[in-house]
Amino acid sequence: MTRAVIEARGLTRSFATGVALDDLTLEVQPGEVLALLGPNGAGKTTTVRLLNGVLKPDRGEARVLGLDPTTDGDEVRSRTGVLTENAGLDERLTARENLLFAARIRGLGRSRSVARVDELLGRFGMMDRANDQVQGFSTGQRKRLALARALLHDPEVLFLDEPTSGLDPAATRDVVDLIGSLATEHGRTVVVCTHFLGEAGRLAHRMAVLHRGRLQAFGRPDELAAELWDGLEADIDLGAPIDDRTLALVRDLDGVTGASPTALGAHLRVRDREALAVVVATLVAREVPVYGAVPHRPTLEDVYFAIEARFT
Amino acid sequence: MNWPAIRAVMAKDLTAVRRSKAVVLPMLLVPFLLLVVLPLVIGIAARSQEEFDLGRFLDNIPGDLAEPILSLPQQEQLIVLVNGYLLAPLFLIVPLMVSAVLAADAFAGEKERKTLESLLHLPLADRDLFVAKLLTAYVPAVLVSWIGFVCFAIVSNAVAWPVMHRIFIPTRLWVVMIFWVAPAVAALGLAVMVRVSARARTSQEANQLGGAVILPLIFLAVGQATGLLLVDIVVALFIGAILWSIAVVLCVRGAQRFTRDQLATRL
Repeated sequence: MTRAVIEARGLTRSFATGVALDDLTLEVQPGEVLALLGPNGAGKTTTVRLLNGVLKPDRGEARVLGLDPTTDGDEVRSRTGVLTENAGLDERLTARENLLFAARIRGLGRSRSVARVDELLGRFGMMDRANDQVQGFSTGQRKRLALARALLHDPEVLFLDEPTSGLDPAATRDVVDLIGSLATEHGRTVVVCTHFLGEAGRLAHRMAVLHRGRLQAFGRPDELAAELWDGLEADIDLGAPIDDRTLALVRDLDGVTGASPTALGAHLRVRDREALAVVVATLVAREVPVYGAVPHRPTLEDVYFAIEARFT
Repeated sequence: MNWPAIRAVMAKDLTAVRRSKAVVLPMLLVPFLLLVVLPLVIGIAARSQEEFDLGRFLDNIPGDLAEPILSLPQQEQLIVLVNGYLLAPLFLIVPLMVSAVLAADAFAGEKERKTLESLLHLPLADRDLFVAKLLTAYVPAVLVSWIGFVCFAIVSNAVAWPVMHRIFIPTRLWVVMIFWVAPAVAALGLAVMVRVSARARTSQEANQLGGAVILPLIFLAVGQATGLLLVDIVVALFIGAILWSIAVVLCVRGAQRFTRDQLATRL
């Protein structure tokens, strides 16, 4: 099995205000996108800071790219890129100066820095603002610039904290596509902390849900859904609301655990896909027109809210 | 030490400071008033007065100070007293103020501008970051002091020339002040602000907290420096050494507490 790019074992960190992260154990594989989810104060940012060697754990250990962030912090940070929740750009510097500064710290040579900065400014549509001070920038422009800074040195691991907050829909789509391509085409490993569950669902291979510093769930959304719910949900399109007699018939079928009428048919909970096929066959045999039967895989959003619901 | 990275942090911080009027104006205005306007006014006053009787004033100060001034021609007395003696302790405000303002901007300012976290995520060792921040405040403080003193010496000598007919600044003690005591005062101001900035959330808060600590030091410096010009160079060197020692101890302690973990904990 491929060695995990990120490994955390029992990672724990407290502050004066309490435990921020409690016994976190997880691993992220190369080229994987992990969505780190949870409400504010769940421990997402603390996790990123611990994994990037900015904070030291009270207990437990971590490995990032085979290195210990506590002792090899600079080496880890030279191979990771971080987008912090607030862009963290110096407002008194221009867009170009902010990027060139990061490039110099990362040891890129002068000519390579200039070329790379120009490339990224162009790629993120910021070339026309390259020589403007950041203080006049919109939230979206700052976010794009900060993302460009995180990608300057072509990092092997990316930690992205709220990468699309403040972006308009088109920019959000571009950033989500970019993150996806970094993982799938370039084999980069990405940890995304986000409140936007839709984009997390589009991007993430696995999700980790934190609540008050504790890991509540970790895995693929469908795996977690299987743990949360029996069977699957499906909508049957009959072109009209299902009548009471047919509804009763469907409810009595083997493998059907629930059925309720909808505007165009019925919403079902069935044991598995085979049970859904039996429902369709039964209806067709009774000459009930069936225009469609769509099983619903629970989305990452469904899974997240089901997990969160345990705490509310 | 990663000197390219240290230089990059310094260049970044100083570029940013240069564009901040709130930081630059007091840094230039105070030295300008103290080291250019004041000696100019004193020189012009001395030239315009045929007789400027300092007798009653000099009666109230120690004989060691009064004697060399009283031995001068009466028209030279005001210029030498003010530009040669009384402005010397005030001069120490310049390195103290510049280093404190820049240190507050460099340390607490990063928190205030919310740029500290992104800085901590860069591959820059804690020690290199600390040294870069120290030098960002210290080098300009010393340079401003030295350039200010050159201006002061030129203005003082030029404006007093019709009265003095000779170059009277710098004296040997002024040289000790400029090259030994002033850098020590800059280091002390910096060291205090490093400690204060660790607790402050904004550069303004750091300046206020630092001001409360620095104010007694200013009075101390005024007292010491006034005496300093009366005594010999050995005592001046000794006082400078004490200031250096305090500054170094405070800086070393500050460096020990300047870790990523500590900084990130206070984000």
